[in-house]
Amino acid sequence: MRKIYLIALLCCCTLSFSQNKQLLYNFTAVPQSLMTNPGADVTYKYYFGVPMLSGVSLQVGSTGFSAYDLFANNGVDFNTKLRNVVYNTSRNDLVTFNEQIEILSGGFKLGDWMENKGYVSFGLYQEFDFISYVPKDIAILALDGNQNYIGRPFNLGDLSLKAEMVSVVHVGYHKNVSDKLILGARAKIYSSPFNATSTKNAGYILTTPGTTTFYDQVIYSDMQLNTSGISQYIAEGYEGDAATDFRKKALFGGDLGLGFDLGFTYYPTKNKQLTASLVDVGFVSHSKDFESFTYKGVYKYEGINPDFTGSNEPKNIYEDFKNAIPLDTLYNKYTTWRPMKFNTSYQYSFNDDRGGEDCSCSGADSSYKSAVGAQLFIMTAPRSPLMALTGYVRHRLLKGLDLKATYTLDSYSYKNIGLGMAVNAGKFNMYVLADNLLEYRDLSKANSLSFQFGFNFIFKDSNDPP
Amino acid sequence: MKYHRFIAFIGIFALIIFNASCSSDLDFNQVNDAKLEPTYIANLSYFDIQAKDFFVNGQEQDIAFDAQNFDVFRDKYFKNYLKKAEFFFEIENTIARSFSIDIILFDQNDQVLYVKRLVIPAYNGTKNVVTTTDIFENAKLDLLKQTTRLGFGIVKNPGTPLTVNSPGNLKLRSSATVYLVLQ
Repeated sequence: MRKIYLIALLCCCTLSFSQNKQLLYNFTAVPQSLMTNPGADVTYKYYFGVPMLSGVSLQVGSTGFSAYDLFANNGVDFNTKLRNVVYNTSRNDLVTFNEQIEILSGGFKLGDWMENKGYVSFGLYQEFDFISYVPKDIAILALDGNQNYIGRPFNLGDLSLKAEMVSVVHVGYHKNVSDKLILGARAKIYSSPFNATSTKNAGYILTTPGTTTFYDQVIYSDMQLNTSGISQYIAEGYEGDAATDFRKKALFGGDLGLGFDLGFTYYPTKNKQLTASLVDVGFVSHSKDFESFTYKGVYKYEGINPDFTGSNEPKNIYEDFKNAIPLDTLYNKYTTWRPMKFNTSYQYSFNDDRGGEDCSCSGADSSYKSAVGAQLFIMTAPRSPLMALTGYVRHRLLKGLDLKATYTLDSYSYKNIGLGMAVNAGKFNMYVLADNLLEYRDLSKANSLSFQFGFNFIFKDSNDPP
Repeated sequence: MKYHRFIAFIGIFALIIFNASCSSDLDFNQVNDAKLEPTYIANLSYFDIQAKDFFVNGQEQDIAFDAQNFDVFRDKYFKNYLKKAEFFFEIENTIARSFSIDIILFDQNDQVLYVKRLVIPAYNGTKNVVTTTDIFENAKLDLLKQTTRLGFGIVKNPGTPLTVNSPGNLKLRSSATVYLVLQ
């Protein structure tokens, strides 16, 4: 039973990925915006996050259906709803889940108040990603069978999913290299306690009218599931407590990988800003406890062909099939690439607080109370990149209270309105960011939701001597 | 004054996020009602015998027989989910002799569980095809679930003797339609 749950968990983990943090990106009143752009215009003397609570982020998404479509308590038979969901989605619809919790975070300015030696930020966070495309053809084959689909291939490549947990230790550095340009980079060490990847599947099951036989039936399969870190839990005779065992190696006991982030912020003029970042350019080398399962081969099914000469041994079709497309277990190391994210934004600021006087201040201390801008987000995914376009407004309502409102177009929704708030009360900083606010009218019908919050203590950088 | 606006805004924000949100009634236990009823079609068997194949070492044979392993319906999962099966047979005879074809289900002790006899008339120059569908349900389906081998017996009915030069073929094609219910 435990294995079934584990496999179900892995399956769930293979449906989706969406990590667009459009509210956090370039929201420089929050130090965690450095995690979306290491070259963000964030300044501090030093800061530290409240352990476990400095950055909590949850995102769920499904492009093709909502929880309501499947589980509405509306008297409609579940099987009818299931069929409607399967038939109304496409093989490119996604189910995704992403969770990130900062365990530790902090940063400090190098040098004294007069020097410009840059800023260091560091931390440790844990992340869980799951992305799965809707395996439409396989679902139809399971729901309906092949009776009404003569001549139509069932695409086994529809199965594409990935589930991964990583713990990330990171150190970043950003510096104002000139009055107009801030550059930043971050190095990351990944530790992945478990991974399940099955994203490069191909094959089909096809039935067509035959001549010698009633049908021509062909199964071509090139399917592979790579796993690491789970073999002990699915092994015969495993008697341990999976949750306890898993926790033990969750932080540093996993497969190791390396990665980096790069980013910049550029001010062509005082009130115009251009930013861009590349996040999670990295890989994990799965070299411990790895196991791959493959179904590879071609089988042409003709049925029983009696041999009336009586000269040969009886054939066993099922054995023939198993020999043609065997389930093999391989023990090969493999490498997975982290989902790489590209962000860029252009911002125009206005409503100068200081009457247009020259000021070198920027970022959270900018003299501008308001800004409008646009952001583009692109993330690599198993089939084609996911993209989102965001328009936003930033406004400083009061000193210490910054707001950001976003309107985002992506594959999940064309009416995604988000709102973020960052409060700086003395040294205390808190932020709350939520998107798809319109969906809060009925959460069960939402195609995607994300929610982020965190608490920090920030000691501001100052131009005054200490 | 500013402080009041500040507090008011936080209140409004929290209201939007938490208080204004609601959710339609969902019932995740519906998963237990899931019932899949797929219908699969597949080849069952085929053969193509020429008239001359009824001669072994120059001697005309009256009966031809072969049995092959056929235990797919005994599989423990398949057995539970199988609710009905239909076997469709199409026989074409272009030999100038009538045949009876016995389709025989054997159990693991090689005992005959079920026999279906199909008779095809002799070829007389016009298209000569016989089709039939055999439906397995209820008690008859249980026989199928005990089957380990499928046998074919071809018996020549009385008629004009064949020679090694007699033209024509006896062809059989058959398919299975399998109705499953997974709950």
